[in-house]
Formats: sequence, C-alpha cells, structure tokens
Amino acid sequence: MAASGVSAPTRTEVLHLYRSLLRVARQFCDYNIREYTKRRTVDAIRDNKNLTDPSQLAAAFSDGKAQLEVAKRQALVYSLYAPKVVNIFGVTNASHSSLGAIWISVVELVSGFMRFYG
Amino acid sequence: MASLLLRQSLTKTKPTAIIRRFSTAAALASPTEYEEPTGITMKGVKIPGRPLYLDMQATTPVDPRVLDSMLPFYLSRYGNPHSRTHLYGWESETAVETARAQVAALIGASPKEIVFTSGATESNNISVKGVMHFYKEKKRHVITTQTEHKCVLDSCRHLQQEGFEVTYLPVGSDGLVDLDRLRKEIRPDTGLVSIMAVNNEIGVVQPVEEIGKICKEFNVPFHTDAAQALGKIKVDVEKWNVSLMSLSGHKIYGPKGIGALYMRRRPRIRVEPQMNGGGQERGIRSGTVPTPLVVGMGTACELAMKEMEYDEKRIKGLQERLLNGIREKIDGVVVNGSMDRRYVGNLNLSFAYVEGESLLMGLKEVAVSSGSACTSASLEPSYVLRALGVDEDMAHTSIRFGIGRFTTEEEIDKAVELTVKQVEKLREMSPLYEMVKEGIDIKQIQWAQH
Repeated sequence: MAASGVSAPTRTEVLHLYRSLLRVARQFCDYNIREYTKRRTVDAIRDNKNLTDPSQLAAAFSDGKAQLEVAKRQALVYSLYAPKVVNIFGVTNASHSSLGAIWISVVELVSGFMRFYG
Repeated sequence: MASLLLRQSLTKTKPTAIIRRFSTAAALASPTEYEEPTGITMKGVKIPGRPLYLDMQATTPVDPRVLDSMLPFYLSRYGNPHSRTHLYGWESETAVETARAQVAALIGASPKEIVFTSGATESNNISVKGVMHFYKEKKRHVITTQTEHKCVLDSCRHLQQEGFEVTYLPVGSDGLVDLDRLRKEIRPDTGLVSIMAVNNEIGVVQPVEEIGKICKEFNVPFHTDAAQALGKIKVDVEKWNVSLMSLSGHKIYGPKGIGALYMRRRPRIRVEPQMNGGGQERGIRSGTVPTPLVVGMGTACELAMKEMEYDEKRIKGLQERLLNGIREKIDGVVVNGSMDRRYVGNLNLSFAYVEGESLLMGLKEVAVSSGSACTSASLEPSYVLRALGVDEDMAHTSIRFGIGRFTTEEEIDKAVELTVKQVEKLREMSPLYEMVKEGIDIKQIQWAQH
C-alpha cells in the first residue's frame, strides 16, 4: 500500500468515485444487481459522509475504489453471459430511474460536503 | 484496460455473433431452446420475461463480489491445496486457510474448528451419524424435532434402523420447541440433541441459547443446523454452547456445492468420518478441498459480516411492506409460525378458501415455493406445517416468500399485486367462499354422500 493512502480524499475525488460507481451500476444487465449496486453506493456514501477522522476517510475511500474495480470486472462478466430474455421489469425502468437517482444523490452529496468542508 | 473492454463488449451485438465456424465453444454459447425474444415458454406456460426471484430460502444468487473472488482460482490459480511441493499448491492452501478464518470469524469460532464439506446436508450427516457411531457403546438415544430438515430426519431414521432410539419433539403452533419437554426427554444415554436454528420453511428462530444451557447442564452434545441462520442472525458458538454446527454456502450468496461443519475443540467432540480417504480436513472429511468454492464461501461470509445490519434493516422493511400490502387487499391470510421469533426474510402465508396448486400455477411470474424445495416433488402437504397443527386445507395453500439482499421494493409491490389478483380470482370461482360470505360455518356442514 502506498504511503499517500494515509491522507484523506478530496471532495472531487469522492464525487468522481461516486459517479463512477453509479455509471458502472447502470452497465449491469441483471436487474437485481443493478438496483443493488446503485442503492448500496448511495447508502454507503451517505453513511460515510459524516466521518471526520482522516485515516478512516482514507480507508473508506480505498475500500470504495477496490469495490469499483470489482464492479467493473463483474459488469463485463455478467454482460458476456447475459440471458437473452431479461427480468420482467425489463431495461426501460432502469435508465429513467438511474438518471433521476444520480441527479438527486449528487445534489444531496454536494450539499453534504458543503456543510462538512465549510 | 477493463473499461475499454467493457465499452467494446457492450456496444457489440449479441455474444452469439462472435462464434466462428470451427469453434469448439459452440455448444456453450448456443441460445437455450425455451427463450425467445418475446418471452419464455416452458412446461406449457408463457411469460414475458424471467420471473421475479422470491425464493431465497431455496437458494440465493451468487453475489458479484463472491464471483470475483472465485474466478482467479478457476483461471490461473488452479492448484490442489494439498500439493505441498510447488507454488500452485501453496497459493491454494493459503487461500483455503484465509477462507477458513473468514468463516470462523462469522460464527465466533477458531479456524481450527472448521471442516469444509460439500454442503449442509453432508455436515448434518456427519454430525448425526458420525457422533452416534463414535459413541455407540455408551450413548443410544438422539433427540430432535419434528420440523427438522429432511437430511437430519432421514439420518435419524437410518439410526433407528441400526437400533438407536430417537425422540422427535413436537413443536407448538408457533413452531417453537417446548423447553420443559426437552428437559424431560434427556436421558443418561442421550448422545445428541439436534435442533435447527432457523427453520427453512416457516422461518422461526428457535431459542438456541436456552437449549444450549440445558444441554450444558446435562452435558449432552448440541448440534444445530445453521444453514439458514448464518449471516442472517447473529451466530455465536460460545453463547449458544453448540458442539456441532452445519453451515451452507449457497444460502448466503455464495456458490453451491460447499458447506462447513463447526466442531468444538474444548470440550472436544469426536465423530466417525463418513468419507474415508487421504485424511484431508483432519481426517473428518477426506477428498480434495475445492479451492474456488471454499474461497467463494469465505468471501460470502466476510460480506455477510459487513452487511448483516444493513441487510436486516432493509429486509425487515420489505417484509412489512409485503405482509401489509397483502393484508390490506384480502382477508383470510394466516402467517404460519411465530411472528415475533422469526427471521425477517422468510414469510410463509396460508390463504383460506383457495386451492394451493392452482394458486401456484397462476403465480408463474413470481418465483416462490410452497413448502420447501426438497419436499415439493410429492403431493403431500409439508410435514413442517403438519407438525405445527395447521389444517390440511390451509397447509395446501401455503406459499413461502423469501426476501433477500437483492430484492427491490418494485418486486415486492409486483408480487403483492399478482398474489392478490390471483387469490381474488380463485375465491371468485370458489363455491366454498360464497358459502362463507353468506355466513355458513364450513366445519359444521354435513356433506351428503352420493
């Protein structure tokens, strides 16, 4: 592990991680995994919003980055073996709700960070 | 690099387009016969897409993080963990030991007490038959309940044929075992008490701590089948005072074909092995340990430890949503098993005045089960519901909804809508229901013989 991992991540870095995770979530072809990834990302970022200790923040951030790598690989694997017929809810539900979710959560997150960073 | 590949593959056409003429991979990639672009036709039923999965007690989908940890061991790190002479063996062995520690951490045990098996069924067999065969000189009695899993009941029946005595404790109408009755049944020659922690059909959580205390008092080994409990409720082998515990991989978002057996070291419990061979897994279970599956189970246990609280809170909300949604629209809905001592992800409902088979046939867009997967082949109503004292007709109409980590609110709402629609349709057609609405008590009717 690099020594630079000890310093806390900046606001832009966290936002970048958050947007990447949501972007990867959208690429899962399986409905349940897609919804879970979106929901879990939003909840995890929200829970970690109020952390103040820099080493805890750094640990949470590097954990998030590792999860992002896992998610990217798995989105690829799932797409290689995608079943021809999708879940009953289909694909259309996902694209609409995810855009809305991203917008609302980004706004929420930015306002949270404004409060934290002063 | 991964993102480039991802973008390329996702913008391509269907994967079947890249099959070349002389490729040997053709057999794997050809589309299955029952899937068409407009839907699925199987066994005479046509549905527009894959059903919603609400059968988490039968099995759970593999979590992508678990799959990610398993794949390297299928691709490049394929060594046998028992090979001592080269890197492939050493790295496999390290992975197996890491997974062992992860499983042990989830149940509060030491890694030396975990033995990997092929599943909870095998672990149950080793516990019940292995313990009794080892202590067969002095101990001839086994105590279990009527609502155990089939593998435990079948092992007990096998022991009975060999000459042991087995007591099947009855359960109350809420599914819980009577502790005073248990205390009375324990004899000086009782070799094992086997009571499952969370029932797979009705979701009831037995009072394992109290049972453990009773067993400690009488110094009887306590075995519990924790396949449904692992990762869902807090499992602590010290607090529960268990000597043996069966664990299953595919109920906690791990792969199928792997399980574990916890065997206490202080005081040591000894078993006679059911699989003889090269002495792997401390001689208890010989055979090559399947590294990818073991690594998958370890990752699943680690994830379960991290996510248990989050999952439980969410699943509780979903269960209430499901139950309230159904109860709002229709009456005559009975929950089988105690509502307080229950695992939140399991909801077993009986609908009055509705026939079970026809209800299930109409619910093809939701994957649920009636009774448990192991008994659904026969036409008998489930033995667990019969042990609860549920009437035959109510036992036939029971449906088990299983809610898990990946279930969404949309799926619950859709399941509620479909169930209510189907139940109302069936009740509309039912003459029995008409009589009930008029106020006639069905049980008092004298059916005329023709």
